[in-house]
Amino acid sequence: MMTETFYYIVCVVLSLLSLLGISMMSKVSSSVRGNLLLSFCLLAGTVVTLWYYQIFEVGTIYAFILIGSLIGAVLAYKVQMIQMPQTVAMLNGLGGLAGAVVGALTLINIGVKPSDYPLFVNVTATLAIVVGMVTFVGSMVAAGKLHRLLSQKPIIWKNHQLITILLMIGSIASVVFAFFIGKDMGILSNIYFIMAAAVVFGSFFGLAFAIRVGGADMPITISLLTSLAGIAAAIAGMAIGDLLVVSIGGIVGSSGLLLTQIMCRAMNRSLAVILMGKTSVDPAPGNSEKPIEPVAEKEMPKPQPQENSPGERLRSAKRVIIVPGYGMALAQAQHQVRQLADALEAQGTEVRYAIHPVAGRMPGHMNVLLAEADVAYDQLYEMDNINDDFKETDVVVVIGANDVLNPAARDAEGTPIYGMPVLNVDEAKYIIICNFDRKPGYAGVPNPLYEMEKVALMLGDAKESLAQVMREMNTQKSDAPAAEPQQTTGANTGEVLKSAKRAIIVPGYGMALAQAQHQVRQLANALEMQGTEVRYAIHPVAGRMPGHMNVLLAEADVAYDQLYEMDNINDDFKDTDLVVVIGANDVLNPAAHDAKDTPIYGMPVLNVEQAKHIIICNFDRKPGYAGVPNPLYDMEEKVTMMLGDAKESLSQLLSMLHNS
Amino acid sequence: MNPIFLVLIFLVSSIVGYFIIKNVPSLLHTPLMTGMNALAGVCLLGAVITVGYSYQAGGTGLVIGQIFGGIAVVLATVNVVAGFGVTHRMLKMFNPKKKTTDK
Repeated sequence: MMTETFYYIVCVVLSLLSLLGISMMSKVSSSVRGNLLLSFCLLAGTVVTLWYYQIFEVGTIYAFILIGSLIGAVLAYKVQMIQMPQTVAMLNGLGGLAGAVVGALTLINIGVKPSDYPLFVNVTATLAIVVGMVTFVGSMVAAGKLHRLLSQKPIIWKNHQLITILLMIGSIASVVFAFFIGKDMGILSNIYFIMAAAVVFGSFFGLAFAIRVGGADMPITISLLTSLAGIAAAIAGMAIGDLLVVSIGGIVGSSGLLLTQIMCRAMNRSLAVILMGKTSVDPAPGNSEKPIEPVAEKEMPKPQPQENSPGERLRSAKRVIIVPGYGMALAQAQHQVRQLADALEAQGTEVRYAIHPVAGRMPGHMNVLLAEADVAYDQLYEMDNINDDFKETDVVVVIGANDVLNPAARDAEGTPIYGMPVLNVDEAKYIIICNFDRKPGYAGVPNPLYEMEKVALMLGDAKESLAQVMREMNTQKSDAPAAEPQQTTGANTGEVLKSAKRAIIVPGYGMALAQAQHQVRQLANALEMQGTEVRYAIHPVAGRMPGHMNVLLAEADVAYDQLYEMDNINDDFKDTDLVVVIGANDVLNPAAHDAKDTPIYGMPVLNVEQAKHIIICNFDRKPGYAGVPNPLYDMEEKVTMMLGDAKESLSQLLSMLHNS
Repeated sequence: MNPIFLVLIFLVSSIVGYFIIKNVPSLLHTPLMTGMNALAGVCLLGAVITVGYSYQAGGTGLVIGQIFGGIAVVLATVNVVAGFGVTHRMLKMFNPKKKTTDK
């Protein structure tokens, strides 16, 4: 019917075509055709398979495909953009399950031609069951979380780590047993026992790893599961010896993994950390910490005007020690640190840096970063050489460090950090801590420093905090030391907030990065309290995944019917008094209408520019991912820019609403 | 088919896939993911083979092969069709011709 050689050539051509299809999806202009090409590849692959294996006369196949196609088509047509994440996760799970079923059938020798390499077939078939079940259960849990059938919060079992490792060992063991199939090893070499073990261990492993991932990390999980589904398919392909399944599965597996990496990098998270449990909503202390957090942040603007403001203290300080930590690396704040040090030295203050040996993520991490910012090497002191000097120090500035200066290490017996050598920061006369939040560090031990009176906590992005400290230092003993950056427009903005009848909130990926959805909700609540109509405009690609914003807002308990898809709300912007943008850029860039030759030209965007007043809470003024500058940023007459951490900006807006 | 050959294919396609994806802008990550998700349904081919062979072989395997293989075919087809369909719908939103107000 069809010669081997011809079949191989067709397989190679189809594999290359699917690679071409994927690469075509990297440009907006060709992406639709890329997608069609990919679907053609699968269709052609199916036809060729029917032909090569000479099974095209088996009628049931067509019946099954027809049923699947109908369900799939209805699903694709009916599903709302807003429900996309759970749909993708669920579809992914179906693919994984199909791989597991194929593996299982192969293992029990149904529907396969006898192979010359039974050992290889048995092992790969078992592996396909394990990976397929992990994919299936993991995806279903992810879909359940996204669909709010399960809690968005990470669920942690007792001894979760241990259980996960045991399940992993069990999964590996069942694959190892597959080596003994056909040998006389009692139950261990029994096919059905092995199959059951693979199913059970694989399923529970998928459950254990997916259940502890929080809402905000879901996109990473989903892309990882996509990769796993590809790997499951490839392994099932090995079991049945099908070239095309192996190659396409491999392509999906590796590209999915790369996508996962990109996501991790963008969200500044490591894959291992997410899988092993440290999710963005800090698991164990998360519940107790939650209520404190918003309070702390609302207080933020207030402590500054006090007599002992950080700026004042720094101006009068003779000796200052700067303590950098991993948070400085995350915020990329080393240049601001250097600027602060320069300013201090200019007024005659002695500045030194105290470097804890494990500050950061690699040995000497802080030194590298400070060197990059041109800090002189002889200003950097190792812990042992500087630890006795803290008590004679006027001000210590901590930038994103926690565990390495936690005094609890000296006396809190039984905690993970007990006995660890720490910097004696608590002995200094005054301490300024520029950390992102009040949460405990990786060790999970609360830091008593945060509660001390001589400590000024500056939460939020370290860059911002440092800039604020410097501004305060420069404001000569004026009566209002807390000259807040946005205060020039502050009164004005407060009035706009107060008088707005109709407000639209536009969230973007920046909201996800800043984890600011709860603050967004608070602002919306406050607006609604005063009778303002509040709606959310969701661009279909806001975030990293269709429906990303919906997931996050759902996490903050925003009512579903307040979320509007772009087409349903785009005409209403012109009648809107106030638009609050939180970390969104490209999706509302008016340049998409007229800037020809830019990547976003022609992309449908939210008509934010038509609103009467716009408040933009973005991290910086840089262009979005598309790299096209946003003309909105320069429309000064109706746009208020609030740069920096969105959480901060939002709590500032909230206090404006309450005060003005 | 020789196992070494299969493993080799897997490695080569993985490596090539890795380099192809490198060039996708973040803007398109979403449809790319759903597209790959659909492509992962390629084990449809495997399921089809199982159903076909178990049908031809008959005997005790027939019923099991048809039921479970059939389920696998249905599941994989749903994955493939809905995956590509959803991707298509999303990409359409990017299409310049569709609903921009500019000229």
